Amino acid sequence: MAGHLFLSAATFLTLLPVLLVVRKAFTPGHAFAADLGLHVRDLTLVHFRQVLSAPHVGRQALNSLAVAAATTVIGVFLACTAAYAFARFRFPGRRAGLTAFLVVQMFPATLLTIPIYVILDHLHLLNRLSGLVLVYATTAIPFCVWMLKGYFETIPRDLEDAARIDGASRLGVFVRIVLPLSRPALAVTALFSFMTAWNEFILAETFLSREDAYTLPVVLAQYVGQRTTEWGHFAAGALLTALPVMVLFYALQKHLVAGLTAGGVKG
Amino acid sequence: MKLCYAVGALAIVLAATLGFLRQRNQDAETRALTQARALAADVAARRPHPELAFAAVVGEPPASKYPFLRKRRWLLHPEAARVGRAVDDKDAHDLVAQAQRAGEVARFADDGTLTLALRAGGATAIVRLRPPGGKQPLPWGWLLLAIGLGGALAAAGRGRALAGAAGLALCAAICATMVAGPGSARLLVGLAALPGLALCWAHARGALAGLGRHGFAYAYVTPAGLGLLVLVLVPFAVGCVLGFFDHARGRYTFVGFGNFREILGSAEFYATLAVTIAWTAVNVLLHVAIGLALALALREPWVRLRGLFRVLLILPWAVPNYITALLWKGMFHQQYGAINTILSACGLARVSWFSGFVPAFAANVVTNTWLGFPFMMVVCLGALQSIPREVYEAAAVDGAGSVARFFRITLPLLRPALVPAVIIGSIWTFNQFNIIYLVSEGKPGGSTDILITEAYRWAFERGERYGLAAAYGLIIFLVLFAFCMLATRKRRAAEVT
Repeated sequence: MAGHLFLSAATFLTLLPVLLVVRKAFTPGHAFAADLGLHVRDLTLVHFRQVLSAPHVGRQALNSLAVAAATTVIGVFLACTAAYAFARFRFPGRRAGLTAFLVVQMFPATLLTIPIYVILDHLHLLNRLSGLVLVYATTAIPFCVWMLKGYFETIPRDLEDAARIDGASRLGVFVRIVLPLSRPALAVTALFSFMTAWNEFILAETFLSREDAYTLPVVLAQYVGQRTTEWGHFAAGALLTALPVMVLFYALQKHLVAGLTAGGVKG
Repeated sequence: MKLCYAVGALAIVLAATLGFLRQRNQDAETRALTQARALAADVAARRPHPELAFAAVVGEPPASKYPFLRKRRWLLHPEAARVGRAVDDKDAHDLVAQAQRAGEVARFADDGTLTLALRAGGATAIVRLRPPGGKQPLPWGWLLLAIGLGGALAAAGRGRALAGAAGLALCAAICATMVAGPGSARLLVGLAALPGLALCWAHARGALAGLGRHGFAYAYVTPAGLGLLVLVLVPFAVGCVLGFFDHARGRYTFVGFGNFREILGSAEFYATLAVTIAWTAVNVLLHVAIGLALALALREPWVRLRGLFRVLLILPWAVPNYITALLWKGMFHQQYGAINTILSACGLARVSWFSGFVPAFAANVVTNTWLGFPFMMVVCLGALQSIPREVYEAAAVDGAGSVARFFRITLPLLRPALVPAVIIGSIWTFNQFNIIYLVSEGKPGGSTDILITEAYRWAFERGERYGLAAAYGLIIFLVLFAFCMLATRKRRAAEVT
């Protein structure tokens, strides 16, 4: 009984802020009170309507989508080739490479923000989405490599040998046998890259200064910025932005845990 | 030996970057001079230029009937007059006097302004302008070449003293070129580097043969490796170099250990470091405690709806963390925030969360705890599953109480999974930028800032001090590196015993 009470209390505290945001999104006004009561006649979609009719919002959503999609494509492509090499071949520098991918994963992008900013400034890539894509892809790659390497190692070698005997080239084996077999792992990696890019805030905030170049996190942060606090708009926008990735997260979470702890335990 | 090569390769990269920065400054100066010359010619021709901070034309008066009245006349540039700079600037007078003798004089001030005096016809024009910020791209080809050379060195001469010496000579040569600048120095140094290059090539051939054998593997690793190199290792190297420079208005000045002296000599740094360590320790402790408690509760056989609880409890992990931060900032709002509404409903006083260090720190910790416990919970759940029930049954038969079972069985068996999770969690928390930056915003007065937000503020909020910020980044890196080393060593020692 006490145990159930403890679990229920913890769950309630965990859900409370989220519930408040959901309530705020559907009720008028901008105050963010701790009131869970809900009257049907109060329900309104006005926040959603206003958020969706803000200037540039279509462009900004498109920006987020484009950045996330490009990050996914680049991240998965680079990661699957590297992971395959690490999983299948023994070559000088393999251990060092793997360690490098692990160490890099430990040091988050924020630490590199300043040099990257200076470099992107010199390359004239500030305010360009391509700059963001480059940075996000590199942040996502190390995790993807470790994750995919683990999966590739579970594919029996005999399959590949058989294909080789039947006359398939090395590239053919990779493209026709290994990649189709690892579709689930590739999906996880792709979704992870997508989430990384979709959820990133500070680099976007630092690198983008033109309103029509913003990604959604930057827009959301502005609703509750220094001068304005439009909690209603923020709540509606947060729901719209976060719901898709939260669904993705639940689809992925088992693999995420496996990937994160595997890297940690082996290192 | 390996270390020697790693150091050599790093030295090449550092020297190359250093040289490029230097070169870039020189280029900026050249461009500023060219621009100033064109402007001065325009000013002498009395064409207005709104971007000039200060400009004047000093005319030799025409042959006067009264030679005793002969003196310099300053014909103020109309735009400059509006800016209202004092004309009777001593430097300007001196420069004009020199220019009237020499034809052209230019002087760079420490703050990056350039004053140029130019004799054009009978008059002397003087202009003062800020050189444009460094907008010229770094020569990436050269930088990558230098890094490639460093890598080749490391690969080629493994375990060979002669190649090592050659490599070091090459290193020194490249460093000297980069620092000594263009001209004859380059030629000399290039000649000196030739034998080194030849030796390296001889050894590299062996490595190349290996490359052919493993070509397929390397071809697969290269794209990702290159991406990593360009976007992680290069920024890291650039950050290391930037730490030794001061940045003001697009110009980088070498200041040696000046930035580090400034940081390590200020009391605020130690305060921030203390806050960062306290922040990390409190958070990780809470994450582990709450996560472990929930995992243990979830594992008990009497729990109903276990799956539902688990799914709901990991919800915070699913929420993007910048949204979490903004959301809790709203919860802590003094007037409208949920927390204060609850407090006042309970008859307690409303707390102004961000006007004192303790409440602001607490607000950050609450936010980060909400955000971080699910990870630890999931790790603990996974690890608990691998402990067989028989162990507990055996312990119970031997008369061990629940406390003893927890400390003697659960904790020791959780250790292998928990320690890496704690290490990763500590690193994440140490650099947990979004929470501090968005929830307390460092309030009050920057006292809740941690090292990473402090570094960010130096770069982007307090006058573009990229050099100082990079030095902060280096210090953060070193602290984390030391932490990792200590943690893994401890872990190894624990595994051995």
